[in-house]
Amino acid sequence: MKRSASGLMAASAFLLATAFGHAAEPFNLAIPLPLTGGQAKFGEMMKRSYEMAAEEINAKGGVKGRKIVLSFEDSQAKPDSARAIVEKLIDVKKQPLIVGEYTSACAKAVAAVANERKTPYLIVASADDSITQQNYKYVFRQNVPNAYYAQGLVSFLREKVQPKTMAILYESSDFGTSGAADMEKWAGKLGCKVLVKEKYEKGAVDFKPILSKVKQAAPDVLFMVSYVMDASLLMKQIKELRLDAKLYAGGAAGFALPEFVDNAKDAAEYVMTATLWTPQVKYKGAKEYADKYKAKYGDFPSYHGASAYSALHVVHDALSRAKSMKSEDITEALKKTKLQTAYGPVAFEDKDGYQNQCFSETFVLQVQAGEHETVWPYAYANKKFIYPFPRWRDRK
Amino acid sequence: MKKPLIPLAVLAVLAVLPFSGLSTYMMHILILVLMWTTIGMSWNLLGGYCGQVSFGHAAYFGVGAYTAGLLYFKLQASAWWGIPLSVAVVSVFAFVLGYIVLKLRGPFFALATLASGEVLRITTENWNGFTNGTLGILIQERTWVAKTQYYYIILAITAFTFLLVRRLVASKWGYYFVAVREDQDAAESLGIDTTKYKTIALVVSAALTGICGAFYTNYMGFIDPHIVFALHDISIITIMIVMVGGVATQWGPLVGAGIMVLLAEWIRSIPGLGASHQAFFGVLLVLIILFLPNGIVGDFRKITRLFGRARA
Amino acid sequence: MNAAQVEVLLQTLIAGVLLGGLYALIGLGMTLIMGVMKIINLAHGELMMVGMYIAYWMFSLFGIDPYVSVFIAGPLLFFLGILIQKYLINTVLRVDSILPENQVILTVGVGMILASAATIAFKSDYRSTPVKYGTSAFYLSDLWKGSPIELSLSIPWSVSFLFALAITAGLWFFLQRTDTGKSIRATAQDLDAALLMGVNVQRMRVVTFGLGSALVGAAGCLFIPIYYLYPALGGQFTLIAFVITILGGLGSNVGAILGGLILGLFESLTATYVGMGWAPVGRFVIFIAALLFLPGGVASLLRRRAFGK
Repeated sequence: MKRSASGLMAASAFLLATAFGHAAEPFNLAIPLPLTGGQAKFGEMMKRSYEMAAEEINAKGGVKGRKIVLSFEDSQAKPDSARAIVEKLIDVKKQPLIVGEYTSACAKAVAAVANERKTPYLIVASADDSITQQNYKYVFRQNVPNAYYAQGLVSFLREKVQPKTMAILYESSDFGTSGAADMEKWAGKLGCKVLVKEKYEKGAVDFKPILSKVKQAAPDVLFMVSYVMDASLLMKQIKELRLDAKLYAGGAAGFALPEFVDNAKDAAEYVMTATLWTPQVKYKGAKEYADKYKAKYGDFPSYHGASAYSALHVVHDALSRAKSMKSEDITEALKKTKLQTAYGPVAFEDKDGYQNQCFSETFVLQVQAGEHETVWPYAYANKKFIYPFPRWRDRK
Repeated sequence: MKKPLIPLAVLAVLAVLPFSGLSTYMMHILILVLMWTTIGMSWNLLGGYCGQVSFGHAAYFGVGAYTAGLLYFKLQASAWWGIPLSVAVVSVFAFVLGYIVLKLRGPFFALATLASGEVLRITTENWNGFTNGTLGILIQERTWVAKTQYYYIILAITAFTFLLVRRLVASKWGYYFVAVREDQDAAESLGIDTTKYKTIALVVSAALTGICGAFYTNYMGFIDPHIVFALHDISIITIMIVMVGGVATQWGPLVGAGIMVLLAEWIRSIPGLGASHQAFFGVLLVLIILFLPNGIVGDFRKITRLFGRARA
Repeated sequence: MNAAQVEVLLQTLIAGVLLGGLYALIGLGMTLIMGVMKIINLAHGELMMVGMYIAYWMFSLFGIDPYVSVFIAGPLLFFLGILIQKYLINTVLRVDSILPENQVILTVGVGMILASAATIAFKSDYRSTPVKYGTSAFYLSDLWKGSPIELSLSIPWSVSFLFALAITAGLWFFLQRTDTGKSIRATAQDLDAALLMGVNVQRMRVVTFGLGSALVGAAGCLFIPIYYLYPALGGQFTLIAFVITILGGLGSNVGAILGGLILGLFESLTATYVGMGWAPVGRFVIFIAALLFLPGGVASLLRRRAFGK
């Protein structure tokens, strides 16, 4: 009896709230992410970043006076789970737009559903080129596609290194395969011969066989596309084997995370990596975000976090400009986005066979004295690059 | 109600479900439930009735999925042709594989099938020229946006599988299957060609699973080797579905799939549970196996007895 | 073959042997459990993960070297194994069911609980123990100045390898010379005979599972200085353990070591001469080959020779 009475009270309170305080009704935004399994690390970083952004937006009055209330759904990096979540958000929760996901496989599943259901979907950190090449009208991507990840690195190679030969190691995933293929194309344009191109199964324990083969080939540049721990393991074992290349370069992802330096320690020194964003970058709000994140969670975020953080600001901007909370209007508003964010300027263009794609500068980081420093392009650099660097046997 | 009426009644209920105004989200979940029911029933034929516990049904699922995917990718044909074609491809494949692995028994058979699934996954990943490797295959435009058509297609497949398995099990072959499960040596000494019947069970089971793979390609529109040859997410989930539902029972796979898909989804979306939903699910699995070792349908008497006692 | 090619070959062989030794230790626990109980333990890798977390926390909180943690994680995992066997697996084995394989699902459940508990407790962060000697190595050119080729031998890998050998030797001694060890072997060889001889089979099973868990926990401690750790890492090591168990022969110690070495060498050679992406295929190809052509594993070959057959 007592329970039903309190239920009644709650219900009437809710009715009152909706009757009188329509403006105060929160805007619920559920975000699909991998929170368990091997990709959970990235999901977690993004979750924290979304939360930070939501806090800021709410402190400034929310979306059209409504507070943003975030919730997160664990897609476990499985496409059918991701799809189930998004079907639920669109159909049951009537959420007018979708933000989130991490792996390319999941983003593909979500993008297909979102486009079919005419609901805008903002991709935050999924790299696979093909996602924004499908003539999807409702799919927007804030990070550059994989083919552009290494753009900054390639310009550095062209101007400062002029390599004659290269070896490419990459993990056997969507991201690794397309990253390696793109680098091979770039190498062709640089007049650089690819001597070894090998993939490995993520989570491998021992890279020494393949590394001794690379050592024998003696390439100028060793380019690697790997997740965090594979990246540190690779560098550790490169050090053990004293494999001397003129340049070790990583294709974003693992190499750009602070964990890479934490785990590879001195083996990480001088390693360069492509990245989409750095904590030192001179975009307005970038430093504040990075510092706040570090203060709260102990480490600097990588571009994954910055992109997630800014994506929510992009969403806020689009929702504020949209004529209504309907998907069509939000899509229209997103298309017209021109926003300076901590992640950089965001605008969605149709260019080079991509649709609704945001193109932004990419950077080169170098590990110097155990810190990731931005060294390229010049305009953004906070430290001068070190090149060439000492051979392993000459290092202390 | 007479026995044959129950399946008809269930089918009728399932057939009218789409008209009850379900959201597309629920339809998606139901489609997955039906798909897993079908895979479960086909696994049950081999594992439950014939006693050959396969840890590699992802191999057949994946080959079916890639049959459909490659038709589209290489020949620009409709991936729907993958459904009939996968029957042929997967049957041949299972026949050859069966020749190798069916010589083995018990845990050895289990591990050999497990390895065969993994070998296929890695081969598909590395064979770039043919399978597009880890990039997978993306179908640009799915046939329908609505769920209803997919639902009826998978319902038809499920009903067909149900009938086929039921017929097979009730036939003379069915008795041979069970004989093999209970004591292979005894069956052999009675003159049953055990290899033959094991092969039959394997090929039928694999072909039905392959159909589901081809359906998956059409329905999801994107496949890659990690997804369709997954050891945990396909092979082991299949076993769990049957074991939770009830091994060697008609309705076990349906009940199991209902629990594994619906309940898992429900637990997953409890707000505030965060990453711990997997722990909950793990505990649930452990409890079911501890208290209902033959699954929910298999130990149904136990459940009713328990509740009967509680009432008295 | 020129000097450079010799260098690659030798380096590959070194890598293969070291890797094989570590693989062997992962396989030992599994072969023991499978040999005695004929059950498939899909939580094996998760138990290793637990061992690694113990080593990790011992290192980060108290600065205890991961190699010392072998003596902490081993006993702790022993008790965890006993609990799992006594209260979960034995309960299921005791009940009559259509397919005895339903214990597999139990271990899957246990694995899920362990992995999920680790995610909740420690987040999904990647961790490693940055020991000082993490990347140090012996170099041939340091010892022999004029060497035409350069070879390196990683110090932590070698230490882990020696530890693995020592643990294996200890286990061998235990199984051969102690009463409990003999009872375990008797249970593995012939359950009914062991029962008749008055062996407390239930107890042996519990001890075996504990021992198997302790071994894989120790393997975790040996792995963490050269590898890394996150909650979902278990699965791949479970698979490796299976391969070694079958390759070596169920329940055979020596077989597990040889199986581990064969696997390590095979994977390294495949990585160098075929392609690293194919190394896991090689793994499963020898697995199936062993199942088919050498059903008793390497151990059966040894036995045949010993009996002069």
